[in-house]
Amino acid sequence: MNMALSQFLLTLIFLTIVFLHIAKKNFMVAIAYGVQSLAIVILLAESYIITGSGTFLLIALLGLIVKVILAPIFIIHQIKKHNLKFLVSTYANMPFTLIIVAILTAIGHSHIFLPLVTIIPANREILSIALSALLISVFVIINRKGAISQIVGILSLENCIVAFGLFSVVDQSLILEIGIVFSISIWIVIATVFISMIYKHFGSLDVTKMKHLKD
Amino acid sequence: MELVIIISSLLFAAAACLIARKRAVIESVSVVASLISFVCTAVMAHTVTKTGPFCFHEFFCVDALGTIIMLIISVVGLATTAYSVAYLREETVKGIIGMPQVRRYYVLLNLFLLAMFFAVTSSNPIFTWISIEATTLSTAFLISFYNKPNAIEAAWKYLIINSIGLLLGFFGTLLFFTSMIGVKEPGFATWNTLLSHASHFDPTIAKIAFVFVLIGYGTKVGLAPMHTWLPDAHSKAPVPISALLSGVLLNVAFIAIIRFKVIADASIGEAFSQKLFIIFGLLSILIAALIIFTQKNYKRLLAYSSIENMGIAALGFGMGGLGIFAAILHMIYHSLLKSALFLTAGNVFLKYSSTKIADIRGMISVIPVTGILFLIGLFAITGTPPSGIFFTKLFILTAGIKSHPAVTIVAIFLVALLFVGFLKHAVAMIFGEKPNAVNTGEKGGLLIFAPMALVAIAVFLSFHIPVFLNTLLTQAVAHH
Repeated sequence: MNMALSQFLLTLIFLTIVFLHIAKKNFMVAIAYGVQSLAIVILLAESYIITGSGTFLLIALLGLIVKVILAPIFIIHQIKKHNLKFLVSTYANMPFTLIIVAILTAIGHSHIFLPLVTIIPANREILSIALSALLISVFVIINRKGAISQIVGILSLENCIVAFGLFSVVDQSLILEIGIVFSISIWIVIATVFISMIYKHFGSLDVTKMKHLKD
Repeated sequence: MELVIIISSLLFAAAACLIARKRAVIESVSVVASLISFVCTAVMAHTVTKTGPFCFHEFFCVDALGTIIMLIISVVGLATTAYSVAYLREETVKGIIGMPQVRRYYVLLNLFLLAMFFAVTSSNPIFTWISIEATTLSTAFLISFYNKPNAIEAAWKYLIINSIGLLLGFFGTLLFFTSMIGVKEPGFATWNTLLSHASHFDPTIAKIAFVFVLIGYGTKVGLAPMHTWLPDAHSKAPVPISALLSGVLLNVAFIAIIRFKVIADASIGEAFSQKLFIIFGLLSILIAALIIFTQKNYKRLLAYSSIENMGIAALGFGMGGLGIFAAILHMIYHSLLKSALFLTAGNVFLKYSSTKIADIRGMISVIPVTGILFLIGLFAITGTPPSGIFFTKLFILTAGIKSHPAVTIVAIFLVALLFVGFLKHAVAMIFGEKPNAVNTGEKGGLLIFAPMALVAIAVFLSFHIPVFLNTLLTQAVAHH
């Protein structure tokens, strides 16, 4: 793979996830996810160009349809439907959030995960970025109080795992790759349906408003 | 062939439920599909007992442990599907649900059972992951079935926590595939392929991978501290679904961890995974023990009992040797009894219209058969002698007393605490003065027969393990 391009795309993915922490508008979160997914699709397309494997091409096309086009459309539709212009706040305030993001990034590059990022020694830098992105995706899900941010956090986590997998492990058979994309597609549909249900019952997508499970 | 029939019948049932207009047709096809699944699983169990593990496609293989879990899915699946017919009819009469919900329920129920069969028979770790993810997706709408704020909240919690868990499990799964790096033409990697390449697995990566898998799938199993979704989801779902979630799905996720454990053990030895199983197992029992006394909701009480029992099973695998045999047997007993308890809890709800322990008094006089079943189930699941769970706990603790005396002593204390906690709630619910507003008398038919059959099987297995099951258990222990 073209290392410069790969590094650029991984950095782009990383930055979109950092953006998820600081974004103020739901619309921008959906767009950030679309951009992030596009970076993954380009990585898959690049793998196809290098290996000639049809699997990568098909997965890239599926990813383009599901993650780059449909998922942001679904999310933006929900945002417009419920007029959810602004994001629900975070548990940690912004300076503290950024400090934690910095710490998690450092952990991703630290000796703790050295065996993971040196699976393919030539890809060490890329794998470190992917791992850091993975850790801060988990933090998005934990830190954000809004249901949309949690959904995008989970989808970003999945993107980071795909990116890590691309640079570290052997490819699996086509049907399994399709199965993964299919299950993610269903997940997106179900999660967006839940957004409507949550809004209908709680009048907000702030998950801290859900306090009915105290019995 | 049998698995093709199982898949076809459940798929057909799901499609038929979607199309059919008459309720009787929806109920009939679902029950018949479950019955067919049960018969086919029994035939497969017979084959595995006689000829050992076999594959019938690149994607599907059945071994002894898989067969045991398939038997659990089919037996509990049949009982819960049959029970659902009577239970949902009662809820319809009460005006709680309507026909669209009934239709949605059976479609998702059949898909849920299908996903579990896929997860257990899959020969590939990624296909197993997809199947377990499918169980999350099919059950999310079953947990939010009643469309109330608390049910939506529980389902959302379930969806988010399990999705994070499963993605971490997926990451761990990918790390297991690193043992295949350098293999020319890696092709379709099965569990056996990964096992045969375990010697190429970097020991440090093997440890990290197993931790991710244990945390990931452990979330689905309900092991503490990733258990937080479980009491909410299991208490808000319709009771037949709670029975399947607690009695079956936890085991399906557990089997995935066990399969990874075998591969990790081949690379780094048993000590690492055993230590983790003991830590998570003991923590799960501790969490359940701490919460049991203050519990106010009997469905949550049963859910916490599931966390405890999964903890005990984990402890068994952690202890090794006899502990593994006892842990698998424990999973069987727990499945049957917990499902039966949830079904009886359904009868309690139909009569008392409440899930609060404080509102349930005098069960023995109001609904005597359900009361007795509930009492037997509670005594059996807490490990009162001579129940099967008494022996499995005894074997697990015996297996650990030499190698881990401190852990075993703490576990004994916690198990005793849980027994007292359960007894306190059970005595209050079963005996005592019945509320004036509640009339005496209970519905018969499937509402009684289904939990009774499950309790009867559990009691029977407590005193006698049939030859075929013993063979399967022995084979499963030998390979795990």
